[in-house]
Amino acid sequence: MPDIGVALSTIVSGVLLGGMLALTALGLSIVLGVMRLVNLAHGDFVVVGAYVGLFFLKFTGVDPLLGLPVIALIVAALAIPLYRFLLAPLAERGPEAQMMTMFAVAIILENAFVLGFSADTRSIERDYATLPLTLGPVTVPLIYVIGFAIAVALILAVHWLISRTRFGRDLRASAADAQAAATLGIDVKRVQMLTFGLGAACAGVGGTLIGAAFQFGPSSGAAYLLNSLAIVVLGGLGNVLGTLFGGVTLGFLQSVGGLTLGDGYRDLVGMALFLLVLAFRPDGFLARRRS
Amino acid sequence: MKTSSGLAEVGVLLAAFVLLWFAPSFAGDYGLQIAFRVLIYLTLAESWNLLAGSTGLVSLGTSCFVGLGAYVAFGLMNAFDVPLPLGLACCAVAGGALAALVSPALFRLRGLYFTVGTLALAELLRLIMVNVSAFGGASGIFLQKDPPPLPVLFHYALVVALIASLAITACARSRISVILRAVRDDEDAAAQMGVRPYRTKLGAFILSSALVAIAGGVQATKLGAIEPYGMFGLQWSIDVLSMVIIGGVGLRLGPLVGALFVVALGEALADYPEAHVAIAGVILIVLIRFAPRGVVGFVENLAPFTQKKRVAA
Amino acid sequence: MSQRLKNIVKAGSLLALASIAFGLGAARADEIVIGASLPLSGPLAGFGSFQQWGYKRAVAEVNKAGGISIGGTKQMVKLIIRDDKTDPNAAASNTETLISRDHVVAMLGSCTPALVNAGALVAERAKKPLVTGCDPLEAFKSVRKWNYVWDLFFDEPELAAAQFKALAELGAQTNKKIAIWHDNGPDGQVVGGKIWPALAKDFGYEVVQNAEFPVDNTQFTSIIGEAKSKGAEVVLVDAITPQAIAIRKQMAAAGFTPKVLNIEKGAEPVQFAEALGKLSDGILVGGYWDSSLPYPGAADLSKAFESETKLTSSQHIADSYAAAQILLDAIASAGSTDPEKINAAIAKTDKTYAVGPVKFDENHTAKLPIVSLQWQGGKTVIIWPKAAKTGEFLFPLP
Repeated sequence: MPDIGVALSTIVSGVLLGGMLALTALGLSIVLGVMRLVNLAHGDFVVVGAYVGLFFLKFTGVDPLLGLPVIALIVAALAIPLYRFLLAPLAERGPEAQMMTMFAVAIILENAFVLGFSADTRSIERDYATLPLTLGPVTVPLIYVIGFAIAVALILAVHWLISRTRFGRDLRASAADAQAAATLGIDVKRVQMLTFGLGAACAGVGGTLIGAAFQFGPSSGAAYLLNSLAIVVLGGLGNVLGTLFGGVTLGFLQSVGGLTLGDGYRDLVGMALFLLVLAFRPDGFLARRRS
Repeated sequence: MKTSSGLAEVGVLLAAFVLLWFAPSFAGDYGLQIAFRVLIYLTLAESWNLLAGSTGLVSLGTSCFVGLGAYVAFGLMNAFDVPLPLGLACCAVAGGALAALVSPALFRLRGLYFTVGTLALAELLRLIMVNVSAFGGASGIFLQKDPPPLPVLFHYALVVALIASLAITACARSRISVILRAVRDDEDAAAQMGVRPYRTKLGAFILSSALVAIAGGVQATKLGAIEPYGMFGLQWSIDVLSMVIIGGVGLRLGPLVGALFVVALGEALADYPEAHVAIAGVILIVLIRFAPRGVVGFVENLAPFTQKKRVAA
Repeated sequence: MSQRLKNIVKAGSLLALASIAFGLGAARADEIVIGASLPLSGPLAGFGSFQQWGYKRAVAEVNKAGGISIGGTKQMVKLIIRDDKTDPNAAASNTETLISRDHVVAMLGSCTPALVNAGALVAERAKKPLVTGCDPLEAFKSVRKWNYVWDLFFDEPELAAAQFKALAELGAQTNKKIAIWHDNGPDGQVVGGKIWPALAKDFGYEVVQNAEFPVDNTQFTSIIGEAKSKGAEVVLVDAITPQAIAIRKQMAAAGFTPKVLNIEKGAEPVQFAEALGKLSDGILVGGYWDSSLPYPGAADLSKAFESETKLTSSQHIADSYAAAQILLDAIASAGSTDPEKINAAIAKTDKTYAVGPVKFDENHTAKLPIVSLQWQGGKTVIIWPKAAKTGEFLFPLP
């Protein structure tokens, strides 16, 4: 058994990391909730965000964290046409058609990354990404703290957007029952398009944070997709604050798994937990009575 | 009417089976390789249809049973030197058993949750294989004895594909179909009619998983070497969905046409390595968008249209 | 019923269309056809692009010189490359297609044990010779007794021993406490699980930690934390590039700086240093090739690569280039396209190529000599052995 400092540092890092990953999961969650779509290209949106962050730094010299709003807009602007031209026409066709279309988008994106940026593994190089932050016996990467703070702020902002604004009201109505929402005069397609854009923006911002904290390459997307799915299920589908809770819980439990069984078992613990929650609390830990 | 068309279909299947049985003597090596791949894919697609058609559940867990079959077959053949047919029978049992084991959890899930759950199950199994060194870890396992020659493996694939096709025929053209449709369309109503929806769904899931596991065992035997990333890869599940969608959802010939199409496309495009993945993606998007009932549906729609045109001219 | 008949006819015509598609790329009679399945997309696309360049260059050179003489007439060589998407199933099916459709007389290999094995087993069964690099020799030998497949690459025990010898000769002073982190892939298990612990003992080190992780792990916090708390001053890592980058960043972020950091496998390509910037300084990695080595054509090879592709060269261009040359030389000396004769000629290979001297042993393997490299300012310098040295050893890790 490792010493207490190692254990505490690992667990705190895990929780912070979980918060960061909750942001990428949030994008998947709201799209799932509103459009009933498992966006198989979600992980690739995360990678798009990381590349955009990388090139943003390269060409403007401005720190990508300062440029996050611009990065979010760029990724959303790339995603919205995908909804408009590929997904919207399939709206009446059941979940498989849209899901497979997004899978096709995912493989096209991956191929495009290789052709455009080579298969190299990249990383957004920043000093703050490799500095330790020490508080007593606990040492955590500074970037995790920064990433966690940004992720929590954004998740709260999205929560406010959905619970307090007119767009949010339309979004909730569309998610609960698209047909009923349409009869109330809500432009469901527009709501879905904006939701899809918002989801991509969350993925993009998460991608930039991940690009700075870790590394990424053309085929990194798949791992983030599965991780995000686990968080979404833990937190409850379409539940914004639940996603944050899901991310933190997953991060915590994965760290405990890593400490006790070895780092190799982190993902395994995550997937096992994911299935257990699916089986026993399919609406997530925080499930309220929803339709 | 129903039974007579069902019998006709069985007749067509058996005739095709007998004809193809002799394929090794007239098809060249290459033809046989391609036919083998088509048969494996056909089995996977028919099995997927069996589940989707009878339960309405969209699975992304094909790879989970392909991989299971591969590992069971190799494990038994390496450790106990069991003959291949017995090994494959054990694959079927293992596939069915895993399906039965996870069904209490998975069947609580409706719609999307089921899809996500099957995806997670495949990933979980892959992670277990990667981490547990008794299963070879990331390096995988090699088949110690030499696999049978291609014509023999082709016959195995043919038999499995026949069983899968007959199962679909039985479900679609016999009295079972009424029950299945009732369960798929409205579980609660079906229960009131005296049908046991849970048992029906479980039966379809077990049969479908057993068939996929056998296909996995045959594919693995042909490879001679397996490892978690190739056998539990998402690629299997996605390929199956592509086949079903490209062929035409809910159409009898959909899986066959889809399997032919996916294998042909993969073969043809692998010669243009630079952008072939992207090309495959574009083709998939275009087909989904403009051929809502797949290639089969598209051709069916086209036929009356061209006839009308001819009349007009 | 007639509807179904119609459907069957339509399916038949589709099949016919498909067979036309398959008919593409048929070989001409006066060509020598060889083939390769490479990972040109998916996670290993980087390796595949280097290999593709090496294979194509060797073939182009032979064709430029008029081809290979078969039974008195010069024939051109045609190289067919197919993408296996980093999927062993596709590597196997590509190899089947190359053999049964394109009638290749011999093959070149893919990269990494999983992909090479998948194709090699098909070639072995079809009795077609296959020459490959990019598959560590112990992993290659563990599959089976090969008859038609040949591998030139580094030998894991030699690679593992190189850094120990280098540290001893260069006089690196440490507390002799070693942490070993390795992936559970075929070579990771051999190097990190067996050879390093044994060597550590021989060289008088104490192994304070030996951690194994799967090849797609991205979190190393508890592994790093444990090594730090146990005071390891030498860290030996065996991991692929994405993980190598993650490990280095997470070490820095955890405030852990050992005196010696050796990352095998993953620290080798230039993208490693590009992604890490100055964090790559001082990291050791074993290499089997460098353009400064005194082998014929070595310097030209990386210059040609860099001027043609505008990318930084990699040692993978050397073993792939040499593998193709070995195969082409064997076809020439066999003077035949008969696979058996080509295979016999490969066995007789005894020549110094751009990658070093190549001679296959009874296990069909040829060991490439190892040098110890260190990243300094975004470039690698050879610090060991003395004879090949191009720079001074930077110690301790900055």
